[in-house]
Amino acid sequence: MNENQEKTTHFGYKTVAETDKASMVADVFHSVAAKYDVMNDLMSFGIHRLWKRQTIASSGVRKGHHVLDLAGGTGDLTAKFSQLVGDTGQVVLGDINSSMLKVGREKLHNLGLVGNIDYVQMNAEALPFPDNSFDLITIAFGLRNVTDKDKALRSMYRILKPGGRLLVLEFSKPEHEVLSKAYDFYSFNLLPTMGKLVANDGDSYKYLAESIRMHPDQDTLKSMMEDAGFEQTTYQNLTGGIVALHRGFKY
Amino acid sequence: MLTNFIVALVERILNTSLKLDTTLIDKLEPVSHKRLLIDIRDWQQQFLLVFTKQGIHLYSTNEQQFDCMISGDIETLLALKNPAMLTQLIRQDKLDLQGDLNIAQGFSNAFSAMDIDWPEHLSRYLGDAPAQQLWQIMQRAKHQALVTDNKVTATLTQLCQDELKVTIHPLELDQFKQQTRQLKGQVAQLEQRINQLLQIH
Repeated sequence: MNENQEKTTHFGYKTVAETDKASMVADVFHSVAAKYDVMNDLMSFGIHRLWKRQTIASSGVRKGHHVLDLAGGTGDLTAKFSQLVGDTGQVVLGDINSSMLKVGREKLHNLGLVGNIDYVQMNAEALPFPDNSFDLITIAFGLRNVTDKDKALRSMYRILKPGGRLLVLEFSKPEHEVLSKAYDFYSFNLLPTMGKLVANDGDSYKYLAESIRMHPDQDTLKSMMEDAGFEQTTYQNLTGGIVALHRGFKY
Repeated sequence: MLTNFIVALVERILNTSLKLDTTLIDKLEPVSHKRLLIDIRDWQQQFLLVFTKQGIHLYSTNEQQFDCMISGDIETLLALKNPAMLTQLIRQDKLDLQGDLNIAQGFSNAFSAMDIDWPEHLSRYLGDAPAQQLWQIMQRAKHQALVTDNKVTATLTQLCQDELKVTIHPLELDQFKQQTRQLKGQVAQLEQRINQLLQIH
């Protein structure tokens, strides 16, 4: 029985075999990649841009830094980091999903951002980099899709340089009951309908809403980061806790 | 989030100004990738300003890593348009500067020397002659608005000082200040004499 429990995880509200989750998540993102940016703007009313701005403002990134933008998707953060680290720095846009990477690469090339960006398909649980490689790692709206989050956090800790920081931008638990109710109604009723109408894919957006509810809350994620070795771990609630930005350092 | 939104708007305006005055990019080149932290004390807000070859980046932040930090009230920071005020404001503890001062000066000089060729930009939409005419009309309107503003201010001042007597004339104020200073001096002398008399007895 115990062995059985160890081998399962959740995919939204469903319980699935651990080995199947990555491919199921991959299917979701293969399906939404082409309309990912449009849907992000539509679903969040453009507020995701402000959440990402806050992430960059908290990054302390500067010229010459090496940055890993994990689950970087269509490269919103990478685009800014690439400009801020300059010619002497390097940004790695990492994603487990080839379709998302393809969309991201095309978008960044069209923006004229070339030269200091590498595109790497990778699994966050086993990051293919040597120890102490990066000054900054960000993972925005990606951690909840990772099968073994603790393993992924430990892997991120390993490749961070001493003095480096991890920023986790992720959906979280709203602080107020009223907001929570309104958010639930929006997520489970309006969101899948919008997904169906715009991206012709209601199921993927149903998974999005479910996966957000299954993701650890602010304090749980903070202690998971501390367990992985991160120090001075803090979080900042954005838009009433709908999203939280966690920050931890490696010393 | 509202601050973030406003900062994003300001960043967009700054980047639009880069497109409108292309010489601004050359002027900002010396401060490229240098981080200027502007701490507005009375707003309790800090803003990070960075110029890169792709544009200007402006963020509201709590980060303490900077190449130059300038801290003061909003009025003090606005007074820095006049560089001669710099030393005076630092001496009065109204302004705090840390790091490389050249970075703050680099940004300040670049923006104060900004010169947007509006007729040139307008001509793309209107054609050369209408753009030039529109620009001249706008310049005349601006000049007229300034003249009218001066006139209204002068009339209102006269009305308040001479007709309605609700305010005093600056000369009267100076005279009052002078008399107050004299009175202060006399009171100090009197205080000294009383103290002397008290010591004798």
